[in-house]
Amino acid sequence: MPIQYYIALAVILFSIGVVGVLTRRNAIIIFMCIELMLNATNLLLVAFSKMHHGAALAADAATKVGVEGQLFVFFVMVVAAAEVSVGLAIIVMMYRNVHSVDINFLNRLKN
Amino acid sequence: MGTTQLLFWLLSALSIFSAMMVLISKNPVHSVLWLVLVFFTISGHYILLNAQFLFIVNLIVYAGAIMVLFLFVIMLMNLNKDAEPQKSIWMKLAGAISGGSLLLIFVSVVRSASEMQSKQALLKTGNIGLIDQLGKTLFSEYVIPFEISSVLFLSAMVGAVAIGKKH
Amino acid sequence: MNAIILSAIFGVVLMMASAFVSNRSLYKTIALACLVLLVGANIAETLGYSFFTIDTHNMLAFNKMGLFFNTICFTATLLYVFISSSEIERVDNYTAEYFALIFFSLCGIAILTSFNNLLMMFLGIEIMSIPLYILTGSDKRNLKSNEAALKYFLMGSFSTGILLLGIAFIYGATGSFGLESIKVGTLQMQLSILEVTGCILLLIAFAFKVSAAPFHFWTPDVYDGAPSVFTSFMASIIKVAGFYAFVKLFESRIETTSFATNPAVGVNWHLLFAILIIATLFVGNITAVFQQSVKRMLAYSSIAQAGFMLFALFSVNAFSKEGLYLYAAGYCLATIGIFAVLVRMKDYTFEGFNGLAKHEPTLAFATTVCLLSLAGIPLTVGFFAKYFMLAAVVKQGYAWLAIVGVLFAGVSIYYYFRVIAAMYFKSADENPAAVATSSTVKIGLAVVVAGIIILGVWPHALLNFLYF
Repeated sequence: MPIQYYIALAVILFSIGVVGVLTRRNAIIIFMCIELMLNATNLLLVAFSKMHHGAALAADAATKVGVEGQLFVFFVMVVAAAEVSVGLAIIVMMYRNVHSVDINFLNRLKN
Repeated sequence: MGTTQLLFWLLSALSIFSAMMVLISKNPVHSVLWLVLVFFTISGHYILLNAQFLFIVNLIVYAGAIMVLFLFVIMLMNLNKDAEPQKSIWMKLAGAISGGSLLLIFVSVVRSASEMQSKQALLKTGNIGLIDQLGKTLFSEYVIPFEISSVLFLSAMVGAVAIGKKH
Repeated sequence: MNAIILSAIFGVVLMMASAFVSNRSLYKTIALACLVLLVGANIAETLGYSFFTIDTHNMLAFNKMGLFFNTICFTATLLYVFISSSEIERVDNYTAEYFALIFFSLCGIAILTSFNNLLMMFLGIEIMSIPLYILTGSDKRNLKSNEAALKYFLMGSFSTGILLLGIAFIYGATGSFGLESIKVGTLQMQLSILEVTGCILLLIAFAFKVSAAPFHFWTPDVYDGAPSVFTSFMASIIKVAGFYAFVKLFESRIETTSFATNPAVGVNWHLLFAILIIATLFVGNITAVFQQSVKRMLAYSSIAQAGFMLFALFSVNAFSKEGLYLYAAGYCLATIGIFAVLVRMKDYTFEGFNGLAKHEPTLAFATTVCLLSLAGIPLTVGFFAKYFMLAAVVKQGYAWLAIVGVLFAGVSIYYYFRVIAAMYFKSADENPAAVATSSTVKIGLAVVVAGIIILGVWPHALLNFLYF
């Protein structure tokens, strides 16, 4: 499969995530859109890793080129898991105080 | 068009559609479910790319643990009503336009990347995505980042407890 | 390696202390002792005594420059904890956890000064940032603190997403995450536009992290909402560490991806950086003029100072490198000093500082020295920091940019002097504006003032360590 299709798919998903971050006000949805962005980059990394692997395979059948891309995805998942635990703790803390997950809660209070 | 190609297009279309639905859904629970579907389709792509370890980890960690946590928090807050405050239509339009132009920039970059024209992502074959290959590299060359990410988890744990605990 | 491992271990020690040590006033003693050990271990490694011999597989590369930057950051943290530990105790009853989080953050800084691989850079940034999200929200019942934590967290993860896409593009173009092999690779093969796009995405992500305009909008809210004592940590040590990583990442890449070496797809980095610098200086300085709260003014002034630190990115040469070290030390000292005074004020507005010189002459004097250093007045370290940065730019042949910098430094004098004027020339109509200060704070402030003036007179006291 041409690598450009994968790049295109990943950037489309990434852009959808960016639009979500920019247009929604619910903190949880924004956070989910960020997760979508991370997943888009994960897909891109795996596709690139297979691309480099395929290129190296022609020269050497036992090559390990491309492993680092997939391991990077593994570490992204590690970080995402840690981020989610902290992020949801912050959101729950805020919800406890103001009973809302609107990111502009204080602005709304002022108006 | 072989089965693989067909699957690729099917999964891609489904993932873009469900990603859009994450945005459009008013009900947060629906958003979560659509996002789970996105993660499933991305896992499907991993299978096509023969990244079996990431396929299973993506299902367990992302679609399983992380999204269930989201769902749990949303249900805890009882947000399943359409209680979300809406941004004004102009803000939404501005967000959509800036996201669209970002996409345009990326697409033009991809199209003008001439050295990528002929390159292919290897489908179905290639054994780097298997767990023995990844595991060997992880515990030899990547052992430092692996150990250091424990600090990350420690700080996340300490933080989540310090912030989540009630008085 | 000493710094990374020991800071993680000390974090665990403090975490355990909160479970097993019931005497709460002991925590800060433990934290201070651990910090002293950490600084000592780091200096030992600079001198060549590494306690751990671990094959890092080229993931990390330790050099004197990075280790010396560690020493600056750790010493500043030591000073910070020495001055502010009583305030940290007052935030909530998780004192030991806060100290542990500060240590984990320092571990991230130690990674950021030694990464040799984009994976380690990514992990370092995350390890540095995640404790900060929590420290920002640590004042749990304060709504402003809650909102600040939420905004900081969302902006932080958003910029992480952008950073990752940039790394993915660079990986696609070069097939490697290493800093070094990218350098070799691009010289051999043709530069890919994907790598250039990746670099620009990394630039955007780092601009978010160090709050350079136009990606600064989260900074005032977060710095204002966070508990003042933690704002001090964020605005000083974390910020300069972010800049060090920023410069370290880009100095290996600016050459190969620039317009000059690759006319086909290269970037005119100088133009891009100049726009970033001017926008940051403009937004930071001009908005700071209109603030009513000193804390918010300091948030905007930290954006303005970020503009000056960006000069180190513009001109990567020996001068700017020295300037970055000097700026890091001076900016940390001044920020820690001024926040140490600020947390003792009841009223954060400019009026709150009225007549401080009469009631608390020592505090007022320390504040004045810190503000003068931030403004870049001669005889303070701020002057030489700015001088080195601007001289580096002039050396590159961009004198006009240096003139812009000087003009904005002139603007900054206005809002810094508003505070000084309030302290010395206005009288308070009420009772003393500040709560009583302990002798620890006074000793700490004396160290800050002495540091600012000594480095201001003799900057090579610091810089000579780079070359011994």
